[in-house]
Amino acid sequence: MGVLHRQRWCGATGLAVPLLTLASPAFLKLTGVPPSWAVLWLLPWALVDGPASGAIAGLALGLVLDGLHLGQATEVPVLMLLGWWWGRMGRRGVPIERSYNLGLLALLGSLLLGASVLLQLFWSGQMPLVEAGLHTLLAQSLITGLLAPVLCSLLLLRWRRVADLRS
Amino acid sequence: MPGRILRVPGLRKVAEAWPWWLLLLALVGVRLSKGAGFVDAYALLTRPFWPGSAQSEWLRSAQQLEVQAGLQQLQRDNQRLRGMLQLDRSGGGRVAAAVISREPGGWWQQLELGKGSLDGIRAGNPVLAPGGLIGRVSSVTPSTARVQLLTDSGSRLGVWVARVQRHGLLVGQGTARPRLQFLEKDTGVRPGDVITTSPASTLVPPNLLVGVVQSVNEELAPAPDAAVQLSAPVDAVDWVQVVTR
Repeated sequence: MGVLHRQRWCGATGLAVPLLTLASPAFLKLTGVPPSWAVLWLLPWALVDGPASGAIAGLALGLVLDGLHLGQATEVPVLMLLGWWWGRMGRRGVPIERSYNLGLLALLGSLLLGASVLLQLFWSGQMPLVEAGLHTLLAQSLITGLLAPVLCSLLLLRWRRVADLRS
Repeated sequence: MPGRILRVPGLRKVAEAWPWWLLLLALVGVRLSKGAGFVDAYALLTRPFWPGSAQSEWLRSAQQLEVQAGLQQLQRDNQRLRGMLQLDRSGGGRVAAAVISREPGGWWQQLELGKGSLDGIRAGNPVLAPGGLIGRVSSVTPSTARVQLLTDSGSRLGVWVARVQRHGLLVGQGTARPRLQFLEKDTGVRPGDVITTSPASTLVPPNLLVGVVQSVNEELAPAPDAAVQLSAPVDAVDWVQVVTR
């Protein structure tokens, strides 16, 4: 595991995810659909702090977000998977810094997360109109992918500096 | 002595008096049309002296008062009759609560309210906004309550179309417009029909406005369904009322 999780203030920024999910600022929505704040926070965290820390952060975020939603659908498995995958990518590959790469990874992560929710809602009979779910899925992935180059780049730079200093 | 000789005016003189004939014709026209033209001209001329808008507002407010009084009387009668039929179990009060988080789009359509179980709110309580019913409380904490909107894909509510006296099931679709599913084939429902909560409902207060039918799909088997526009602005509401039991 990396050193980021040992910095309390870095970990505390994760509180912004449920707060932003609840506040749901209207100017950061696409056709009424908000971005996936969990993906936008988890991506830079996992890239800097590694797969184990990423998976645990995904678990923590998923548990909190599941508590904020209606129904029984869960986001935990996909968030853990994304944290682990992005953590491995950050450890093994070339350091990901380009906005395009960050945007693409966030887009893919949001698509996976949304697809898992859509499938759960569909199988439990809570999504009678699949077209509405697909609209939400696409809108959320697009707005997440568009915001990622801005937000994730800032977090990534900041946390890399903190990790370099501590290690 | 020669007497006066009465002479019948000649045709020439009759023809010379044509303006008078024309006037007479016009007056006949006025008579036959019950004063049309004259009244219009009078209205036009006296318009500056008409009573001001204040008087019409007095009349309007008096009419509103009359309607409100009638409505209260009907509500009292309704309450009494429902009590006699033992239908009304929703005699609780109403708690006004601020909307502290709003999510009308996305995967779940929900609101978070700034009041919870400490104020008497319980899961299942109906939630009203200006315009009508918007959802039901799904869970509560001591100081907050989560509301499942009628637009949420997990929402199901029995409703009533008063004009055709039909029951239906309002099913959330995850979009702004829930669908109204019927049990019978020939419903007679058409766009513009008003949807209310069922008069016999014991889960939500009866006869609450829910929305208006926007379009009807008659081709659907086994029974038609309809798209419904909710009457309350779900994505703009800041304060709601929770009906407690």
